[in-house]
Amino acid sequence: MSRIPAIVGVGRTRFGEHYERPPEKLMEEAWLRASEEAGIERKDLQAAYVADYFLPITNKLGLEEGFLSELTELHVQMEITRSFSSALSNACNAIQAGRYDLVLVGGMEKMTDRWDKIRDDLMLLEDPWSYYAGCTPEANHELMLRAYVKKYGIKGSELEKFNTALAHIAVKNHKHALKNEYAQYRREIRVEDVLKQRKNARRPLGLYDFAPISDGASAVVLASSEVAEKYTDKPVYVLGFASATDYITFPSREDLTHFLVSRICMENALKMAGVSRKDIHHVELYDQSTLMEMVSLEDLGFASEGKAWINIYESCQDYQGYYEIAGKRLYVNTNGGLKADGNPLGATGGAQVFEIFKQLRDEAGERQIEPPSEPFYACSLELEGFGTKGYVYIFGREPR
Amino acid sequence: MSSEPIERRVSYVGDRLRGCRCSLCGREYFDIRDYCGSCGRKSYGKMVPIDLFFEKGKLEICTFINNPTNKFTPLGCYVYGIVSFHDGKIRIPGRLTDKIWKEGEEVDLSSLEGREVVPRFRRRYSVEKSEIIPTISLTFTFADEYYPYQEYRVMKPNKEYEKPGIVGYGAYVSKFRIKEAFMERSVPFIDEDAITAAVEAGKLALIHSGVDSALIGKVYVGSESNPYAVKPIASKVAQVLKLGEEDTSGGVQFVDAVDTEFACKAATSMFKDAASLVYYPNSHVDYAMVIGADNSQAAPRGSPGGELDFFVGYGGCAFIFGKNDVIAEIEGWCSCTSDTPDFWRRDGEPFPRHGGRFTGDPAYFKHIAKAARKIMEKMRLEPKDIRYFVSHQPNLRFPTRIAKQLGFKEEQYMPGLQVANFGNTYSGASPIGLAAVLDVAKPEERILVVSYGSGAGSDAYVFITTQQLPEKRNRQKFTLKYQAENPYVEHVDYATYRKLKLGMGEN
Repeated sequence: MSRIPAIVGVGRTRFGEHYERPPEKLMEEAWLRASEEAGIERKDLQAAYVADYFLPITNKLGLEEGFLSELTELHVQMEITRSFSSALSNACNAIQAGRYDLVLVGGMEKMTDRWDKIRDDLMLLEDPWSYYAGCTPEANHELMLRAYVKKYGIKGSELEKFNTALAHIAVKNHKHALKNEYAQYRREIRVEDVLKQRKNARRPLGLYDFAPISDGASAVVLASSEVAEKYTDKPVYVLGFASATDYITFPSREDLTHFLVSRICMENALKMAGVSRKDIHHVELYDQSTLMEMVSLEDLGFASEGKAWINIYESCQDYQGYYEIAGKRLYVNTNGGLKADGNPLGATGGAQVFEIFKQLRDEAGERQIEPPSEPFYACSLELEGFGTKGYVYIFGREPR
Repeated sequence: MSSEPIERRVSYVGDRLRGCRCSLCGREYFDIRDYCGSCGRKSYGKMVPIDLFFEKGKLEICTFINNPTNKFTPLGCYVYGIVSFHDGKIRIPGRLTDKIWKEGEEVDLSSLEGREVVPRFRRRYSVEKSEIIPTISLTFTFADEYYPYQEYRVMKPNKEYEKPGIVGYGAYVSKFRIKEAFMERSVPFIDEDAITAAVEAGKLALIHSGVDSALIGKVYVGSESNPYAVKPIASKVAQVLKLGEEDTSGGVQFVDAVDTEFACKAATSMFKDAASLVYYPNSHVDYAMVIGADNSQAAPRGSPGGELDFFVGYGGCAFIFGKNDVIAEIEGWCSCTSDTPDFWRRDGEPFPRHGGRFTGDPAYFKHIAKAARKIMEKMRLEPKDIRYFVSHQPNLRFPTRIAKQLGFKEEQYMPGLQVANFGNTYSGASPIGLAAVLDVAKPEERILVVSYGSGAGSDAYVFITTQQLPEKRNRQKFTLKYQAENPYVEHVDYATYRKLKLGMGEN
């Protein structure tokens, strides 16, 4: 691969409620921070790939590209996609193909304005047939949990341990978010709190198992490897990326316990990057629920099937900042994950890349993980819908 | 959002639970597909439609929903899960219905998983008053509870009769009841209405008759509580039950479907039309279906017309008329009409009003007596020649009094008197009475049915049961006795009853 996409600057807003600011203002803030880091001006951009999951529905926006053009006075190619990872893959393709050398990849979402309707919109987009049958955005996660517990025969005291392990995921992510100045929730929670919320809800997963509804934006300046060093000494390279799709109707899928798309994406991304799974030390998973984080560890091959919860349970007995799986350290969701960092759908993937960029450049401050002695690779997973679409990225400090 | 073409497509697939199977590899899909995902282009044109509407599925896994999305909020809490058919070849999302979860009630999901479920036809979710009412059969109840699983098997007819008559019937009342004084009344679940009752009744009639739904040439639905002022219930019934020949290329049914209205006699009035239609050779209609269904409306107690609130029920009853394998032949009929405004509902008003005492003497008693006496006179029948007498039953007092006035004894009118079990089901009331009689009658017994519709008029019919009546009985478990004495019946208090009756937040 002669031209490798390289990230030269990142920026984001705090995630959470931004009552007073319209979505395009959030995008502007993220872009300004990223451009400052990269030392570029907007006129340097040759194209923009921006994601929002459903702004035209939630905010009755017109063509988002028009808003962005008005804001930036740019008249370049702009493409709107549904997730940050999808925007990033378009941008990577364009750079690899040699079409552009410097592009903006962004993501924004404004979800809090319409809280009373948003769950209907979310569900309808996620899976119409399930929506018509009465599904909620939470229910599919719970069904997957029920299917998982059944498939692996988790019962009795094991089930208790399993449930506690899931609770630990939320607790761990909140702990990470304490050190993240952009995170939506910067407070500690306890395992008892998570369990209590489940009990109150009379459901397998409770309020503290799910990522919140958030506003926010994120931006990345992506350059070709040929020009990247003009902007920074320490670019972060996108070594591998892959995407896959699956049925929109979750109940119709063959496997109800895992996400097929994650598995396919991981295999293909690793192959493209020429990186071995064991060299990946840091992953940003798409934890829309605690269950999703656990299942994704298995889907990406970091934990063996039906066993991730045991690794999590054991790692969290005296949590050191990472999961220990088969004697290897794996840092997961160091920004607090979707659970605590926030989940403004279109911008979420950008926050994952933001975190990886900072970690790989040793600039994550308090959150900085101990870089391994061997090559340092990181990986991100983003899903659209309930595992209907997946994206995996492999990042590294060196081009290959 | 609900008026777009997607609404039509969703109801086409979801109301009936349709799917398809690849005839090359056997893979099955929920939804209609032109080709199989596995076999690709070579499977084009080789996809066979499959129908899950009359089948039973299995609740694979489920979860409890107590924080529904907006449109489902009126349903409160419910269990939602994945239902599989054909040993897991098809899996679809489904909502369990007909269950009121109490505050803080323990939910043991594993006790529900793995159990068999039957598709039910219900409102999908709540919509604004002016919008289309979406329906769906991705709603289920347990096959071993109130509504048992029953197979729909099309039977080849054995015998053709000279005179047309009833070939099969089905009565449907909901699982919920309110019990006050002498009466128990059926209460719709929150996702039920006159449309869903009509479909349920029609479905049960098909099961009982064993008639191929494609041979039904006309369907009449009589109701006074159609949630639409303009838009027939009959079109929904025809599409969901696939009445008439199905046009596979254009998505229509070759059937005539019409709604009728004449207060509580809207359905009985059409018995003669259905019978005449199947009798006329050039109509080429083998069978005709008549349904009476109502979510009987009543203003709340204490407001004008609120007296009705002590008597109204919910339910539907369907009859299939034809000339083959008849269980009760029509011997004769007689109707009478006068302009007597004893009970009415103006357009746009949610509840009917009535003329108090006036509804009895110059209205109910007069019309029923006139029609009954006239037909008995015409056919030279005495009360002793009639084994069962069924009349419209708005309460217990009226039908008892008219029966006695006409000279009928308790053993003649009690079997058909169902109002104390289910309440006044308006258009469904005398049909349910007739169905209850057919549930127990022996061959060669004469039945006199006299309906009454405010406004006002009565239809009197004389039926005589045939030898084939008992043999069809084992095709229908869901009899009126079964529904009345069902151990899974759930009683609700007055406040819950009003809430359920008003439905999904429309009134």
